[in-house]
Amino acid sequence: MTITIGITVLGLVGLALALFMEKRWRLTYNIEYLFIAGLLVMAFYGDWVSTKIYTAYQEDLRASETLSGTLVSDDDRDEKFDRILTVVTFQWGFAFITEENELSRNAAIVMPGERVLFRVVTNDVIHGFNIPVAGITAEIDPGDVRELWIRAPQTPGKYLIQCVNYCGVGHTQMKAWLVVEGDVPTAEMNIGENNNGA
Amino acid sequence: MAHDLDHKRTGGAPHWKPEDILGTISLKTLLFSDDYRHIALKGILTAFVMLALGGAFAMIFRTELAVPGAQFLGARGYMTLMTLHGMIMVFGFLIPLTISVCYYMLPKVLGNDRLEWPKVAHWSYWVLIVAAVLLVIGRPDFTWTAYAPMSLRVGGSLVWMGHLAILLVAISEFLAGFVLWRNAIAGVTASGGWKMLPMMGWASAVVGLLLIVATIPLGMIGLGLFTDWMEISAWFDPARGGSVKLFLYIFWTYGHPAVYLPFIPAIAILYTLMPRILGRPMWSYWSGVVAFLLLGLFAMPIGPHHFQPLYTISGWYERMIQIFTLLVFIPSVLHVFNWIATLWSDPIPASARASVPFKFMVSSIAFIIYGGATAYVNAQIATDSDFIHNTYWIPAHFHAMFFGFAGQMAFAGFYYLFPYFTGRMYNQKMANSHFWLWQIGLFTKITMMFVAGYAYFPRWVYDYLPLQEWMMPQMMITAAGYLIGLGFIIFVYNVAVSARRGQKAPNEPWPVEQDGAVPSAAPAE
Repeated sequence: MTITIGITVLGLVGLALALFMEKRWRLTYNIEYLFIAGLLVMAFYGDWVSTKIYTAYQEDLRASETLSGTLVSDDDRDEKFDRILTVVTFQWGFAFITEENELSRNAAIVMPGERVLFRVVTNDVIHGFNIPVAGITAEIDPGDVRELWIRAPQTPGKYLIQCVNYCGVGHTQMKAWLVVEGDVPTAEMNIGENNNGA
Repeated sequence: MAHDLDHKRTGGAPHWKPEDILGTISLKTLLFSDDYRHIALKGILTAFVMLALGGAFAMIFRTELAVPGAQFLGARGYMTLMTLHGMIMVFGFLIPLTISVCYYMLPKVLGNDRLEWPKVAHWSYWVLIVAAVLLVIGRPDFTWTAYAPMSLRVGGSLVWMGHLAILLVAISEFLAGFVLWRNAIAGVTASGGWKMLPMMGWASAVVGLLLIVATIPLGMIGLGLFTDWMEISAWFDPARGGSVKLFLYIFWTYGHPAVYLPFIPAIAILYTLMPRILGRPMWSYWSGVVAFLLLGLFAMPIGPHHFQPLYTISGWYERMIQIFTLLVFIPSVLHVFNWIATLWSDPIPASARASVPFKFMVSSIAFIIYGGATAYVNAQIATDSDFIHNTYWIPAHFHAMFFGFAGQMAFAGFYYLFPYFTGRMYNQKMANSHFWLWQIGLFTKITMMFVAGYAYFPRWVYDYLPLQEWMMPQMMITAAGYLIGLGFIIFVYNVAVSARRGQKAPNEPWPVEQDGAVPSAAPAE
């Protein structure tokens, strides 16, 4: 994001100077090669940073292959997570199924700081799965099982889960809550207190 | 530094003379004449009707979104307006407007004073009109991306009209591609070879080819959805053995190049106007040509960055898409570099500073920088998987590129052409009001969309939770939308009045004057 802001400012300042500065420059063509070299470095830096972050995220998952091209071992993967939830997305809602086959509609109940694995599927159309507080956004296609993990917030409360792919007229209502339990039982939580956690 | 030949390459033919075409034309001539000016004007005026329609739809749903809670639009009504807004703005306004302005300028720039294959251009126009009529009657609510299988299960009994409209849009754009390609080739002959071809000729060649190649998958999508809906086939419906991924890969093979369909002609308009308004050639001819070719080359393979099922395939393929998407940044930046270097090389003439086309041009460059820089984070899988994918961040990006850059550049072209087809000048005060209302409106709208997207505001919702980080941006986007609407009303009034009563245009409506003399576009009396 810093680089993006930097490019924007640089470009706009360059444009403003070209318009309003009294001094004029006729740039040599060679300067363009330097410019392209800079852009290439920027492009490959972007690729490197993104790959590093996303590969680190994927390392805990049973992905067939990460962005770095390294195969991920399945060994003791399940031990890495405090809770595994299967998420069925449908027109228009989310069903969360625990490992004990307990089903909760539109509420994923977890404990503070837990590492939670979501196995997300859809039973009709393409849906989205976004948890703002965890900074994850994913697209789920029919026939796929998509695995995503988060670390639950330390602060008990309700955090938004929403569909971000248009999936039909009920798309707006396709929301659920990540309920982080604390001393207050879930049933007594303030239902009116919304928090997208972003 | 510019090459001597660059004067020729900008198309300095002396037949750019103001004429009152609009005031003397009959409706029959406007609709059916083979004269390139009539074909172009027909396209331009129709695009403005489409803009009015798509803009009115936006005003309605933006009013709904100003505050949380359902006000007066239900989900179905909202999504119908949203779908029509997206489709009409892209297929009916932006692509046809930029191409029509090119239709007007290309024969003048090339010096051959005629558009090759005018009948094909007519067919392209009429097929698009049928598509627009089908869309408005069918009122689909599946968004412009029409994702299957959702688009097969929504929209009521007339949804098939939306599917057919997609097919017709593909045919219309396919035909326009042939017209542009054929005229680029004619331009090569007229100019004396590729090396002498004006930038608009190069742009026509690239976008022509892109249209021909990229619209085939769009046609497959329209036809596939239509036959799937009729239950003749099951290409895209997984419940009947079809594949969603097949849909996604085919759709985005068109969907990403679609971004360049208005983008490249808009760049071509800029390359045509800038040397004329500044009175000097572009900083580099070949830098622009190479950037056009690279844009065309990179446009096709990077479509999959628009969706996420890539995670199910090889990580290396996914990574290559990321790398190519990051690299496509380079040709766009080369264009911007070229423009700024041209601006910087010599003093800006006083006549340029006063002219409205120049103002829109400079603003377009600012918006391509503002919106384009965000492409750097959009391209990265890590950030896409965080706050970008299908949040308001995406419409912020494409409104900056589509409207902020391509749309405004087309308006720069229109203002520039105005004296050539009316024989009169527009009213400067009203044009300035239009300009400033749009700058304030567009900047506010796009910035607030970025802010909302960064706070994970989802796309395609007619109602939302009353969260502080969502409410303020939504209210401001709506207010900005009204400013843009007001600017457009002033523009329409200005065009209508000035075309009949504006000051008579001099023989050279855009003289380059360094000394701060009275600008050519003086207020109408």
